[in-house]
Amino acid sequence: MASATLYSVSYDLSSALLHGLGSILPPAAASVVTNSDLIVGLAVLIFAVILLAASMINTIVLIWWERKLLGRFMDRRGAMHVGYAGLLQNFADGLKLFRKNTFQPEEADALGFYGGPLAYMVTSLIIFGILPISSGWNSGALPLTLLLALAVFSFAPLFIFISAWSSNNKYSLMGGMRSAAQMIAYEVPILLAVVAVVIVSGSFNLTTIVYEQQNYWFWGPLVVALIVFVAGMLAEMERIPFDLPEAEAELVEGWNTEYGGMLFAFFMLADYLRALVGSILVVLLFLGGWTMPSWVPSAATSFPLAGIVWFMVKTYIVFGLFVWVRASLPRVRTDQLLRVGWNRMIPLSLLSIFLAAVLVTVKCLPVFGCVPSMGV
Amino acid sequence: MSEMWINMGPQHPMTHGLWNLRVKIDGEMILDVDPEMGYLHRGIEKISEDRHYNEVITLMDRCCYVAGFAWEHLYILSAEEALHLRPPERAEYLRVLCDEFQRIGSHLMWYAAFVQDLGLMSPFLYGMRDRDLVLDLFQSYTGARMTYEYMRVGGVRNDLPPGFSDQARKVLDWLDARFPEYDQLCLGSTIFRERCDNLGLLKASDCVAHGVTGPMLRSAGMKRDLRKDRPYAAYDRLDFEVAVADGADVTARYLVRMEEMRQSVRILRQVLDWLDHHPGPVLADRLPRWLGAPYAPIGNEGYLLKRNYPKGVGFSAVEEPHGEAQAYVVNDGGEHPYRVKFRSPVFANISAARQYLVGYHVADIPPIMGSVDVCVGEVDR
Amino acid sequence: MQPDDLSRALGPKLGDGLLSVEAFPGTAGRVRFRAERALDLFRAVRDDLHFGHLSMVGGIDWVDHREVFYVAWSDEARQYVFLSADVPATAPRIESASAVWPSANWHERETWEMVGITFENHPDLRHLLMPDGYVFNPLLRSFKLHEPEELEVKARHV
Repeated sequence: MASATLYSVSYDLSSALLHGLGSILPPAAASVVTNSDLIVGLAVLIFAVILLAASMINTIVLIWWERKLLGRFMDRRGAMHVGYAGLLQNFADGLKLFRKNTFQPEEADALGFYGGPLAYMVTSLIIFGILPISSGWNSGALPLTLLLALAVFSFAPLFIFISAWSSNNKYSLMGGMRSAAQMIAYEVPILLAVVAVVIVSGSFNLTTIVYEQQNYWFWGPLVVALIVFVAGMLAEMERIPFDLPEAEAELVEGWNTEYGGMLFAFFMLADYLRALVGSILVVLLFLGGWTMPSWVPSAATSFPLAGIVWFMVKTYIVFGLFVWVRASLPRVRTDQLLRVGWNRMIPLSLLSIFLAAVLVTVKCLPVFGCVPSMGV
Repeated sequence: MSEMWINMGPQHPMTHGLWNLRVKIDGEMILDVDPEMGYLHRGIEKISEDRHYNEVITLMDRCCYVAGFAWEHLYILSAEEALHLRPPERAEYLRVLCDEFQRIGSHLMWYAAFVQDLGLMSPFLYGMRDRDLVLDLFQSYTGARMTYEYMRVGGVRNDLPPGFSDQARKVLDWLDARFPEYDQLCLGSTIFRERCDNLGLLKASDCVAHGVTGPMLRSAGMKRDLRKDRPYAAYDRLDFEVAVADGADVTARYLVRMEEMRQSVRILRQVLDWLDHHPGPVLADRLPRWLGAPYAPIGNEGYLLKRNYPKGVGFSAVEEPHGEAQAYVVNDGGEHPYRVKFRSPVFANISAARQYLVGYHVADIPPIMGSVDVCVGEVDR
Repeated sequence: MQPDDLSRALGPKLGDGLLSVEAFPGTAGRVRFRAERALDLFRAVRDDLHFGHLSMVGGIDWVDHREVFYVAWSDEARQYVFLSADVPATAPRIESASAVWPSANWHERETWEMVGITFENHPDLRHLLMPDGYVFNPLLRSFKLHEPEELEVKARHV
């Protein structure tokens, strides 16, 4: 399976479909449907649908995973009734939200009110589309995947603020302000932490970064960067202890107070999609992506789709850690959050860059081994 | 952002009940507050004027939905005084049992709501889980979990079921083991200390001037507890300490309530021991007949006994989980109280809101109001 | 503290403003005073007798007159004291205690709207439990329950 990529699979599928269609159509029509451009077009469509389905299903399963974990942390069982162990509960919830009436506050600005959630959702989906999940998923699609992913990731405060402002509600506005301030404050340390990874791996390409971690995963030597990155991601994902933009105790629901039904579902899905993306980025940058250490028996890493399976296992474990944090910490206050962001996180991330530079200079570490290629 | 008024309520996650906190903010800073009450006003004082003495107990349960027993006790004490009745001793101990379990239940409810306001998710469930054990005990001897109607003018309705004290001791052991866990989740968290230390400060002198009582007052270092200062029921025969702290902030209020729960456990162990060894009647004999059965007419003449029943007034004060509650019952010789007036501790505590809210952040409102432990039922009555 | 102590301490200060001091169950005593001398009494009770904590203010409608009562607590004596003054039903007004005890603020607002007693020089005499513009005083004896048709009329806000 190593040679097959997601795109090649969808191309084969597309070509088989269209040629099959061509064989039952008259020759004139057949030559049209088996046109190579059409095959590529359908292949891209299939590719996109698979990505969309994968992201949506993963998001919903992620919500289930969070609910179950939170349940256990809280000494209860979580969703239990729909499907096995409540697996289908979130699909039922989603369907319920689909059926709900969407309403718009009288004074709200329609463009921002409807466009905000849409753009938020779309940008979150874009990131998922460019992340490599295994060697065959969409490897080598772009040389600067990491940069692109983080750039698209940082669109979010804009759209959140737009939708908060245009819903014309004081709580929404305050939530939007907090969200914008928080995300901007934590963009910087995240990017600086990523720079440490980039220095060591010598590449912005996530696939390359993963392959650079063959000898050792980066979480060990770059533990400072990992701490900064995870804390920053918690803030970016607006999860407890950094969920103050939607601190329900004082701001009702923060920037999505006025949203109901499907628009709320959009926000909810996009939030979890971003949580998924955050976990995936942690796995890619620090936990070796889809590769496993050499001491793992080859039987455990050579079955079909082993890369994706291990990747998802790691992702869900990382997300489980986020849930653990959520279950056990209270929420911080805006000024404390910003103080920590600017005063602690940025010096820490600069320290992590320094450590990465040291690592690159000495090339080999006593416990971890050597940097394989030092980039290109 | 310029200055603006926002309405936190009447439907708002912070309020824990129906009330409206109007807040004037500049950005995230609180400039002024103006609590608006009355959304839950049911006219309990007015309705009481048309009810028999024992029928008012039903209303008392609805006064505070987390501390029904404390309010029943409050009313019963003043009604007994107004009617010149004394309950048997076992009834007094049973009332203490109710009160203290109620205090634990109310404080657990407070704990759950307070940590939820801070964003702590799991302890919310822990608090509710353990409160359920207390409610199960209530159910076992009153038949109800929230509105008990258990105390009677002149005693209590019924005695405990067999096996109750073993069950209650099990609950107390369980709670004793849980308290360190609660503390670990709150005091052990740096974020909790960062959020709550030096927050919502209200000095003892301000507390006194604004009528603030209960855990808020004790958190300011003032050792005042009606159970000690003005013992009612069986509290003068029980051994316990008054919980005090000296921070006058949200953390101190947390500490006081936690210590109060521990002291309640201590009191309850003594009460259970006493109850095990002193069986007896739980309702005074020689009650006026219209009191025992308000709906049963006597002969063809209706409620005759009221004529030769003495007039009187009753004033009582109890240490409710939220603070000092007082009741004033005027008996003009009729079968209904002439006037019933209640003093709710939360009423006074909220009235001082401007003193402990102004100058903090909007995000501080939920923890501060959480530390006040608002129960709107008794504010609005 | 006994009723005698109260009258000894308050008598010289108030003179004929002090009507009587009698025993009252559960408190140091019940002080009846003339409504006109309210502020002097409050000051004396707070400053000389150290009842620093006003815990309750309420009113009773005795049909021919109305009674305002105050309950205060002293941390030195660990006792309550009960103060009461009669005001005529035709002009039910008394000086506000909130200048002496800030905690009187809300209690007096409630008494004003429930029993219809006006507190003069009150900083903020607004409706508390009833909606703004409500013109009835529900705790007056003339406000009857058990008459649904009448209630409907009464519930209409003016």
